[in-house]
Amino acid sequence: MQAKTFHTALLTGNEAIAAGAYKAGVRVATGYPGTPSSEILPYLARFNNAIVNWSINEKTALEIAIGASIGYKRSMFTTKHVGLNVASDPFMTLALTGVRGGIVIITADDPAMHSSQNEQDNRFYSKFAKVPMFEPSDSNECFKFTDEAFEVSESFDTPVIIRMTTRISHSKSVVHIEPVYLPNMNLNSENKNNSYLKEKIYIKDIEKFVMAPVYARKRHKIAIERLKKLQEFSNNSGINRIEYNSLDFGIITSGVSYQYVKEIAPFASVLKLSFSYPVPDLLIKEFVKRVKSVIIVEELEPFIQNEISSIGINLKGKEIFNRFGELTPDMVKEGLINAGFIKKYDNKSSGKLLSKGGLSELDNLLKKLPQRLPALCSGCPHTSIFYALKKLKVPVMGDIGCYTLGALPPLNAMDSCISMGLAFGAAQGLSLSNSSPKKIAGIMGDSTFFHSGITSLIDAKYNNACFTAIILDNSTTAMTGGQDHPGTGKNLSPGQVMSNKIDIKRVVEGIGIDEIYTIDPYDYNAVYKTLKKALSSKNLNVIITKRPCILYPVKIDLGKKFKILEGCNGCGLCMQTGCPSILNSGKFLDNNKPVPFIDSSCIGCSICKDICVFNFIEEIKS
Amino acid sequence: MDAQNILVCGIGGQGVVLAGKIISNAAYGKGFDVKTSEVHGMSQRGGSVSTHIRFGEKVFSPLIPGQSADIILSFDIYETLRYARDFADKKTLIISSNYGKIPLWASARENDGISIAEITGTLKINFDKLLTVNKKETAMALGNVRVANIILLGLLSKFTDIEEDFWLKAIQDSVPEKTKEINIKAFLIGRNEK
Ligand code: SF4
Ligand code: SF4
Repeated sequence: MQAKTFHTALLTGNEAIAAGAYKAGVRVATGYPGTPSSEILPYLARFNNAIVNWSINEKTALEIAIGASIGYKRSMFTTKHVGLNVASDPFMTLALTGVRGGIVIITADDPAMHSSQNEQDNRFYSKFAKVPMFEPSDSNECFKFTDEAFEVSESFDTPVIIRMTTRISHSKSVVHIEPVYLPNMNLNSENKNNSYLKEKIYIKDIEKFVMAPVYARKRHKIAIERLKKLQEFSNNSGINRIEYNSLDFGIITSGVSYQYVKEIAPFASVLKLSFSYPVPDLLIKEFVKRVKSVIIVEELEPFIQNEISSIGINLKGKEIFNRFGELTPDMVKEGLINAGFIKKYDNKSSGKLLSKGGLSELDNLLKKLPQRLPALCSGCPHTSIFYALKKLKVPVMGDIGCYTLGALPPLNAMDSCISMGLAFGAAQGLSLSNSSPKKIAGIMGDSTFFHSGITSLIDAKYNNACFTAIILDNSTTAMTGGQDHPGTGKNLSPGQVMSNKIDIKRVVEGIGIDEIYTIDPYDYNAVYKTLKKALSSKNLNVIITKRPCILYPVKIDLGKKFKILEGCNGCGLCMQTGCPSILNSGKFLDNNKPVPFIDSSCIGCSICKDICVFNFIEEIKS
Repeated sequence: MDAQNILVCGIGGQGVVLAGKIISNAAYGKGFDVKTSEVHGMSQRGGSVSTHIRFGEKVFSPLIPGQSADIILSFDIYETLRYARDFADKKTLIISSNYGKIPLWASARENDGISIAEITGTLKINFDKLLTVNKKETAMALGNVRVANIILLGLLSKFTDIEEDFWLKAIQDSVPEKTKEINIKAFLIGRNEK
């Protein structure tokens, strides 16, 4: 154990990115919340130094960052992997214009899809757009690389990608960092020594920023030239490094996989790619020349493998490791065993791996263990609408948010979840298909409505579509941890005025839709009646449910508790809400049906009481 | 010294993340190299959640390798079963709540119910060092049932070579101002037991 002779802090990757951006003097930082990227901007806002704000969606967020850069300021845009798809339109052309103030794009991928609808590997975006990319492997690198990325952006006149993954974003590790680069409301002031912070007066430059064909053709050539210089940097700057050990076994790796490799095969020589696009061709050639047997360990797609094979070197990678999911230390170990790098019994836990399948009794029990599917919170205001939709048996085009859980048992009342803002477009399309005798419902949350539901609702009106659009307004972006959005009127940087709050109902009215219902989702009977009415009308209509999320921004407990009364016949209706407070009491009726039991986590929303048609649920009067 | 591996598990909303934060801050306070990792799916509450904490002279992987946890701290007995299978070996110390909760709709779906006694029994056969505890009432007497899991954390602290001061500082740094006192009390009850 070392005495701490230098300054360190224990930070998550996301926090370290924010600290690095602060150190680099970022002036404008934008993004749309998305797991696992959501914690970067709130942490940066704590420095009280830059303009840090949530935007309505990723495209707008990147466009704001571009504008700030045109105004000579350093800017940063944060997103989850799929969010870069939304911002890809400005992104692909920004790659041609280049920057004035540095632009750093943080894209956080989600291998294993802990909280995502796909598993795309955004490293391909760097190649696709000809934009350089950093891949940090711990929080210390997140801090260092973010600072450096701004330098690279300005010296090579290009946006820069920092490619994160859930494991890097949400892991904590020790960062070597001066206390002045940690947030402290009173201390943090501008880094005045950075020369680019000097106020510059805007001058236009249409050859750089107007990508009409005549200029774009020139800029494309510049972008291609730029790649060569970036490759030199990749080879010579020292950012990509070789750690020579045994000259028999070599591993080329990047990101968190590097850590697993060091853990499992400390004897191997390693070429660590921290700047993984463009790849350092000379370093790779040197490495494979000196080390006898070399393989590639990378998560998700064979990105590095393809790049290396494009310089004429064929190494094994995806032949050994999965092309999907997250790698784990155990998977890396298995792969290294298969590649002949380590013997089965080489290290202390390989013997234990063999015991898999040997613990039969444990395994049998595990099979019986009910799967713990994610569920809406006790008292979540989304519950009632899904319960009612299920009863009405209508096709429901759904969307992305906590309410996606309405698709899972026991609610089972949502039929699609593909992209942000899909619901209203898909509802229009499904109704055009004439495949359902019942009217279609489209459902999305308030934040998603702002993100990309408004456009499809306008399209629906414009094209005379007929479906029922449901907007679940819980006044927050709940799924990602309760971020603000245009409907809350607040944001991360101070200086927001509540009059800037956007009223969803007025937006809908502005589109010219006349049939609008605003309801309280805790009033189950009203929810059911309204839905029934809206779904039988032949118009495009909108239902807005209004109730704050019970978790964000503050935990809500209505201070009431409910109980199951003696006489309950075990019909199971209440448990069909999926409320996590309704448990199995362990008692069974004569017909073998379990008797429900409401535990103390009940927040008193009363939905289950309305749903129990036999009136066996009652508030506890103290 | 090999890295020490502690895995905390439970369900969303039980304080798994907080416990992980306290353990990692205590280890970091003592001067260890520390890595932690949170693993959870898309639910705010009710889903299975775990935090991996690793500390030692030098730690690489932020995830604990299979069957390599030194200690598993679990706030829900059903989760104990799940995680012990993946991360414990015979010598792993398992400190677990002796209760667990599964929503009715999920348990009613499975017609072959699973009892807590069955789980404890099987765990005992497979793992030598299993401690099942229920601190709900002690916590209630302290004034908040939610600190029950901090008592468990106090219990865990006895099995690490991190001194009390580092633990207390870590708790102070990790919990909200107005709950500091009760959390420290709860921690010490666990730590001073037996
Ligand atoms: S966080 Fe809010 S929106 Fe999400 S499930 Fe819980 S109550 Fe519902
Ligand atoms: S009132 Fe019923 S549905 Fe609402 S939180 Fe309590 S148990 Fe759950």
